[in-house]
Parts: sequence; C-alpha cells; structure tokens
Amino acid sequence: MSNLDHGKFTRVTTLFHSLLALDVFLLFFSGYAIMFNDELWWLLALLGGATGTVAVHRIAGLGLITLVIFWVTLQVTSSTGRSNFWAAKPTKGDFDAFIQDIRFVLGRADERHPNARQFAGYKSDEVPLLSYVGKGVVAIFTIELLLLTVSGLLIWSKTGVASLFQTKAAAMAFVTFHGLLGVIMLMGVMFHIFEHGMHPAFYPVETKAFIPRSMIPEQHADGGEEPDTTGIERLSLSPSWRTVSTIFGAITVIGIVSVLIASIFDEGYPVPRELAIGGGPTSLLMTIGINLGILVLGVGLVLSMYGNVLRIRWERQLEASDQEPATAADGGEPRSDGGVESDD
Amino acid sequence: MTDRDDLPDVDGYNRIYVVISAVVGLAVTALALWVVAGFNVFHESLYRVNPTVEGGGIGADWVFGNTIPSLDFLIALIHAADVLMGAFILVLMFLHWAAFRRLADRMREPGESRSEAVAADGGERPVSEARSGGGSSEGGDGS
Repeated sequence: MSNLDHGKFTRVTTLFHSLLALDVFLLFFSGYAIMFNDELWWLLALLGGATGTVAVHRIAGLGLITLVIFWVTLQVTSSTGRSNFWAAKPTKGDFDAFIQDIRFVLGRADERHPNARQFAGYKSDEVPLLSYVGKGVVAIFTIELLLLTVSGLLIWSKTGVASLFQTKAAAMAFVTFHGLLGVIMLMGVMFHIFEHGMHPAFYPVETKAFIPRSMIPEQHADGGEEPDTTGIERLSLSPSWRTVSTIFGAITVIGIVSVLIASIFDEGYPVPRELAIGGGPTSLLMTIGINLGILVLGVGLVLSMYGNVLRIRWERQLEASDQEPATAADGGEPRSDGGVESDD
Repeated sequence: MTDRDDLPDVDGYNRIYVVISAVVGLAVTALALWVVAGFNVFHESLYRVNPTVEGGGIGADWVFGNTIPSLDFLIALIHAADVLMGAFILVLMFLHWAAFRRLADRMREPGESRSEAVAADGGERPVSEARSGGGSSEGGDGS
C-alpha cells in the first residue's frame, strides 16, 4: 500500500488528471501508430487500420480540446484556480532543487530539496503543491498542448491546409510538425510514469494525483518539536522494488532513446522534404526499442487505473471508519482545526 | 461519498465554476469541429496556370517536396527541440533513478522486521514515538 502523506490536489484536479491521462494515452497510441507505422504495425492493425486509427485520434483530439478548454476556463474563473497560477510559477527554489538533486545523487547532500521531494513524510508542510519537475510538466504541457491543438486542427482537413499554402507538401509538413512536436511529450510522459511509479516509498504508484486532499486526514505534529528527517527510514521497501525498478527504468530509457532516434529519421508520415512515402530506416533494434516505449505507456495507463482503484479503496476505508464514532482515522475531531495543536 | 469540507485546508473548486468550465470546453470543441469541418479546398482559388514542374503547376510539389522555407525551418526547429528536450529528459530520468536508489537504501529491507514496524500508509501517529524511542536503535538508521 502506498503512502498517503501528501494529498494536495482537489477532487476536480484528480478527476481531470485521470481523464487527461486516458485521453493523452489514446492520442499517443493512435498518433504514434501512424508516425512509427514501420515499428508499430500491430498497433495500427489493432486500432482498426489506417481508417480506425485516424478516427480514434480525431475523437481523442476533440476530447483533448474539451479538457484543455475546461481546465483553462476553470483556472481563470475560480479563485482556487487563480491561486494555482502562483503555485505553478517557477521559482529560484526550483532551480536549487534541480542542483540539489544532482548533489543528492552524488552523495554531497543528505536530503532532497523540498521542491524536489515526492515523499514528504514528517516534513509535508515544507513540500509545495508541485515539485520542480511537476512545474516543468505543467509548463511544457501548456506549450505543447497549445501547439499540438493548433497544428492538429490545421491538418484536420489536409486539402484545406494544402490549398491554404497552394501546395500539397504543406499539409505533409504540418503533419510532420505535429508528430515531431508530440515526441517531446511522449518522452516526457515516459519519464513521468517512471517518476511517479517507481519512487521506492510509493511504488507501484504515487497516489498524490488520485486521492484528493479532502480525503487525506490532516495531521499536526505534537508540540513544537520539528522532526529532522522525512521518516523514510521507517518504511519498508517492497520486495519487488529493486528488480522491477531496474527493469522498468531500463525500458523507459530505451523507449525514450528509441523514439528520439526514430523521430530524427522518420520525418513523420510521409516525409515532406523529399516526398518519399513511408518512414526512414528501420531495424529490428529500432522496432524493439519503440515497442518498449509503447509498453512504458501501457504500464502508465494501468498505473493510472490502479491509482483510481486505490482511491476507491481508501474511500471505502474512510467511510467504514466514519461508522465507528470513536476512531481517529481522520485525525480525531474533524471540526476543530485551529485548536488541534493545543489539544494534546 | 460524504462531503468532507469540515476538514481544514480543503478549498476545492466551486461547483458553479466546474459546470461553467465544462460547458465552455464543450462549446469550444463544437465550434472548433464546426470550423475545421468546413475547412476544405476551394478549387477556384487553386493555381492552375503554367502546368509544368518548373512553373510550379499542379503536381509540381510532388517533385519538389516542401519548398516553403518557413515550414522547413519549423520542422528543423522541432527536430532540435526534440533532441534538446530528449537529452534533458534523459538527464532527469537518470537523476531520479539514482535518487530513488539512494532513498531506497535508507528504507528498511523487505525481510527486516522490527517491533514498531509501521505500515507504509502511516497507520500510526508518526511523530510521537518514533522520535522519542531512540533506545530501539531506530533513530540514526543509516546505510
């Protein structure tokens, strides 16, 4: 069971995250079945050939527009959303967190920076809403989704964009642009899955994005004593963590490297500079690598669903403990917040 | 599910804004679909004169490939962005991988059983005993 130490997202955010994930996975599966059709021929066939795959991609693309516009509107209109803007703004602390992560890995720092910390433990008060990676994800997703949506709508009608530029090659150039743009997100999402699936304290999935903060009991430290560690040394490592994280880390790296190399050679579909139909060179190694990348995404999809299963279990547990009046699963007397510290 | 707004620090989104945002999202999607559905070739505006390759007539683009410098540049730019971002993501990937391994070394090994083992879901109140129970060789668990 994963640790529930820092539910910081609201119910709407967690729900939005799950829907966005589902939609983006569909877009990746269908989009890269098209772009890397040499290597992912089976996926292309599975999604209903060229016609079916494109249909899936278009429907999921419309779903993405709905989700993105919904989110932007919500952030702008609601006060909760507006306050989030500041929580997502990069600060100097985020850069420090990156540097301290390097020092932590080299053994020159004892702890990760609060802005890098995924496991908060006793120090959950110091941990911001988003880690420095989280802020990077938000920033890159914002730019990428905007450009992908615009270029995606532009190539909705290939003949339309061809007539706009008076050449058919323009349509292909935009298709290529669209596909190459998504590669950044594809690589980023692979890392995202590793980052939130393979943290030793949360393995196999970090529930932060699945269990809303309204369901996390507030715990206040007794007295004024400030703990000097996160308390991670009190947690037991899962028996399978070392093996699974090594294998999954390796296939994530192979997947990222493979789609990166393939994106350099496979200039999309079909190639715009020289009008050759089909992708670039392919090989057994490339085929295996790209398929491993798609496997990473598949694991992400499963973990995303598992996170929701965990939330439902947690919900049940909370409801069960609500029946028994005396238990303190939600931090004792829920209605007293200001006086908690002096209570004990 | 009961509403838990009695807990402190829970200021979720106001329902009204959620509904408004959902409606706006759907409306913009419908509008976008309507616009792109009507976005098609208007044959009378196509260049039809000078039907040779050199003259850039119909079909010449199949020989030349993409000849629009701005689009060529865009693609080159995205290639560069892919490579730079890919390299950076790999750096982050290895950084986190190594950090996770270091964090894992601090945790208890799977078989290791101690009297006050705590479930990973923080079943017990964390601060009170762990800190004071220094006698149980708990405190400075380094490795």
